[in-house]
Amino acid sequence: METATRISPHSGDIILMVGTVKGAFIFHSDRRRADFQIAGPYFKGMEVFSTAYLPDKKSPRMLVGNKSQHWGSTVSWSDDFGASWHEPAEGNVKFPAASGLSLNAIWALEPAPLVGPDVVFAGADPAALYRSDDRGETFRPNDALLNHAERPYWMPGFGGLCLHTVMPHPRDPKRIMVGISSAGIYRSDDGGESWTRRNHGIRMDNDGPPNAPHFRPQCAHKMRYDAKNPSRIYLQNHPGYYRSDDGGDSWVDIRNGLPSEFGFPMVAHPSRADTAFVIPLTSDNFRAPIEGAAKVWRTRDAGETWTPLGKGLPQHDAYFSVLRDAFIADPLDPAGLYFGTRGGTLFASSDEGESWRSIADWLPAVLCVKAAVVA
Amino acid sequence: MRFHLPSALRKWAGDREVIEMSLPLDLRMTIVEAFEMLGRDYPGIRQRVLDDQGNIRRHVNVFVDGENVRFTNGNATQVTHASEVRIYPAMSGG
Repeated sequence: METATRISPHSGDIILMVGTVKGAFIFHSDRRRADFQIAGPYFKGMEVFSTAYLPDKKSPRMLVGNKSQHWGSTVSWSDDFGASWHEPAEGNVKFPAASGLSLNAIWALEPAPLVGPDVVFAGADPAALYRSDDRGETFRPNDALLNHAERPYWMPGFGGLCLHTVMPHPRDPKRIMVGISSAGIYRSDDGGESWTRRNHGIRMDNDGPPNAPHFRPQCAHKMRYDAKNPSRIYLQNHPGYYRSDDGGDSWVDIRNGLPSEFGFPMVAHPSRADTAFVIPLTSDNFRAPIEGAAKVWRTRDAGETWTPLGKGLPQHDAYFSVLRDAFIADPLDPAGLYFGTRGGTLFASSDEGESWRSIADWLPAVLCVKAAVVA
Repeated sequence: MRFHLPSALRKWAGDREVIEMSLPLDLRMTIVEAFEMLGRDYPGIRQRVLDDQGNIRRHVNVFVDGENVRFTNGNATQVTHASEVRIYPAMSGG
């Protein structure tokens, strides 16, 4: 157990769980979101790739996917808002010996209450999906994806061969979508018994690997369901912006005036249909705001048009990048938006992106941000 | 056989700095087999020294009788009942 600073939130308060390259932090505010208090760091010196909040009213739980450069990766949990953290001695996200693989990092933690009240999915590097049925204490791998026939064609990207996005369907407990870099988008319609690649319509600039030139692996950066229509999915791809209106069966280009085709995060509005947010960066080769001016772009018509939002963000000499899990919305109305940079700044908006302010300036490089309302 | 633990691992051994493991005098095994055996009583040590495939983690240095196994026989380095095993986290930057 690691003792650390705790927060004492009230019902209705907002908490942000922020993972960085040197530990995790918790930010806490009342629902006005005018003043955030910081707690931490937790897991000092570890990379925190993923977090999750399980909003059980009687026993809310925080999960953290951390990585020690020396001692490996594990999912740790706190049932007292960070006062104490727990992890099993023997670890919990592990590859079977027969796989020949070893865990590098835990990129995604995603509760799936429709699948089961205590179910949490984890996404790993090397690419694999894990399921917990005890609120993140123990996990088992999804064998169908682990042994997928296309696995030999998957290729690591700069960040590794990571399963970074897990999207349990909000209405169909048998349907799960995952994003793997670099392989693409896979979907299961049978509760994880089988998986099919769903990249149709996404532009591919390069051929596949020499052993499978037909494969054409995709680097999906982040996908999100539309707030009202889960058949509608928004995608920030490595090159380009896409939307699917048929649950991922096909994709259409929605760049439509966005100033570049490169970025990492994609955020859907938590309650308003057809509304999403992206943070375009200059290019694959120069991952920084365009001409040094930081802007979030918003669509309110499912990607037909986009509007830049930059009030309060630095408009000159800003050369940070924002990683795929470092941008999130809270569930309030109006929605709050939050993103952390690799320069260690955490920006917040309480008015759906119209205006922004910094709520932390000197964090380590931010890897992930999650927002939740305390029940 | 004695294992000397760095401070980061002692919480997985009841805060002890040294763990002694009794072995038959004529027993020979590899350092990895020794960690697997240690893991029966101290799974937290095994988990953090060996990866999922049973290899010594990349940024962990293990010394057997003063020699870094990385420069001897690696995972196959032989140990005996009298071996002194020391575990060090590798120096890192950033």
